[in-house]
Amino acid sequence: MTFLAPLALVAGALAAVGLVALHLVARQRPAAYPLPTARFVPDRRTLVSRLSRRPRDLLLLLVRVLLVLSAAAAFARPVLTPRRTAVTRVLLVDRSAAVADFGEALQRAREIASDGVPTQVLAFDSAVVVLESGQAGLDSLTRLSQAKDGTVGSISAAMTAARRLGADLGATSDSVELVLVSPLAERELDDATDTLRALWPGNVRLVRVSVARDTSGLPTLERAIGDADVLGPALGNRVVMPGSRALRLVRRVPSAADSAYARSGGVVVRWNSIGTRESRPTALAMGDDVIVASLGRASIGAQGVVLARWADGTPAAVERALGDGCMREVSVGVPIAGDVPLSPAFQRIVNGLTDACGGARGGAGGPVSPERLRAIVGPAGLARGSALARGTELPTPVASWLLGFALACALAELFLRRSRDESAMPEAE
Amino acid sequence: MTSGVASYGALLDAVRGVRWPARRRATGATIGAHRSRLRGNSSEFSEFRPYRQGDDPRRVDWRLLARSDRAYVRLTTDRATTRTELLLDASASMAFPPATLDRWQRAREVTIGLAAVAHAEGDPVGLAIAAETPVRIPPRARRSVIAEMIRTAECVSPTGASALAPLLASSRAARVAVITDLLGDADALLATSRLALAAGKEVVLLHLLTPEELDPPPEAQLAVDPERPTLRRSLDADGRRAYRVALDSWLDRMQVDFRGAGVRYVRAFTTEPAARIVRRVAADAPADA
Repeated sequence: MTFLAPLALVAGALAAVGLVALHLVARQRPAAYPLPTARFVPDRRTLVSRLSRRPRDLLLLLVRVLLVLSAAAAFARPVLTPRRTAVTRVLLVDRSAAVADFGEALQRAREIASDGVPTQVLAFDSAVVVLESGQAGLDSLTRLSQAKDGTVGSISAAMTAARRLGADLGATSDSVELVLVSPLAERELDDATDTLRALWPGNVRLVRVSVARDTSGLPTLERAIGDADVLGPALGNRVVMPGSRALRLVRRVPSAADSAYARSGGVVVRWNSIGTRESRPTALAMGDDVIVASLGRASIGAQGVVLARWADGTPAAVERALGDGCMREVSVGVPIAGDVPLSPAFQRIVNGLTDACGGARGGAGGPVSPERLRAIVGPAGLARGSALARGTELPTPVASWLLGFALACALAELFLRRSRDESAMPEAE
Repeated sequence: MTSGVASYGALLDAVRGVRWPARRRATGATIGAHRSRLRGNSSEFSEFRPYRQGDDPRRVDWRLLARSDRAYVRLTTDRATTRTELLLDASASMAFPPATLDRWQRAREVTIGLAAVAHAEGDPVGLAIAAETPVRIPPRARRSVIAEMIRTAECVSPTGASALAPLLASSRAARVAVITDLLGDADALLATSRLALAAGKEVVLLHLLTPEELDPPPEAQLAVDPERPTLRRSLDADGRRAYRVALDSWLDRMQVDFRGAGVRYVRAFTTEPAARIVRRVAADAPADA
């Protein structure tokens, strides 16, 4: 137990000492003297003060001291502080599609948790699942398995959950270690990552696992793009490797074969307005990339996840999951003449629109820069529990009980004082 | 403090020869020292009165008849005794000051002194002590009555809050002397005195005070009434002044009230010798001859 306002205790102790001092100053009635004519003395109380070696009215003094001390203790706001452990650990395990081998991540997590430090396990992809602590959490993580839908992991979400959990753990721990088991792909980071990382007041122990292959590069092309094609500047250096997961670019209504190709895991992009001659100035935005140019604008009918939008908010490209793959429809008309295809922003947009299924929203995946890696790892040393905890104190009814006791003492003091006065001054008239 | 009959020897010597004439004419049949309400054949000539039919012919002054040829009856004044009873207050307030009991001692001495004076004149003398258990010796004229009174008074200790008025009301004596501090049933005593006076009795009241009552000692900071221990009052400087004013006022009121009722009120202090107090009580009683 500790006190939030210990000065009240000091004040109470001083008041108790003052009470004892006052009780040492004995104010007593003088000795009785038999006087037959006492009835002619006016009724008036006279007390004589003198110092005494022993406090007078010990019971009254005890009640008064208890009253003062209990009230002071109540005003000192007593709270309960839980038992603290030296170190606890927050283990963030990436289960997103960025992880090449989830078993490797599990193995690393088990190795980390084997040292006996209390460990709270969190699994994350784009969302965070808080699991049980210790071995039970690892078992739950095993059953949870890896995300199958190609969901991109979010380090920001993981850091947010870790910080929230750290606030609770910091109340019972002196230090909290944060371990991140993740390939730390570039696509898992966003603009909020650094800010959220800064909220963790300590080091992040980074345990990197192998990154999934399809997240390290863009999909291969099923067929080569000619140099005359307006998408050539953007896709010209793309590897051409026909296969079940290669990018198929069609400029017509997709056929049944295209749908079957998509269901088998391929990426089918319908971009039939390429080379349009009718264009007008407009803006096209995709993620952080924006291009303002004269572009053609075709209607788009398919429903799905919007990948790019026009300036008026209408979808310019949508993606629809289909089996293990997906099918995209792009309504952006690229004029034959002009330098729009050479624009870096346009090329990034094209790369995004021809990215793997579900992976085009954050742009292309790539290695994290060493500077950003150092920023994520942060300073040395574990996070202190006091820096994480919102408040380590637990509410307790002790203050209420103390106030109640003080009230009872006040009533007892009143009763004792009246009894003493009546016995000391039993005036008959 | 001395005790016993012998201790009163000096006092009895000092009051020998003191006369305590009755204030009212005595009604007793026995010849005594006080003027009687009856006129008879004593040798103390008073006056002549013309003879009326029915007068005793033996009282006719024949010499005067021979000289003046008129018949006169010779009147003389009779002397009689007066039954005297002394009421002694033995309440707790009489035991003051606590260390010396001066008031109780002086009250007993004055009581015995007055009894001796009355007894010396041939009056039957009795004693009633208003103690917690009242003691009464009926008025007697025999020689041993004074010694009996001394022994009785020596056996009583002043305690409690006894009342004098019932003893006065039940007294059959023609003269009653009350020795008290008036701190008990003063009002009842005054009322009973009025009744006694109306019945033709003589009431003498000796109000016995102590100097400590007028000027309480410095150590008296908390005054306690010995008759009512629950009454406690603090005596500081202001309190002493107010106390003295109230006490003086009360003393004046007692004197006025008792004298107004016809009681012979005598105030005395314990510092005054008992014989002197006895003389004052006796001398202050002129007979209404």
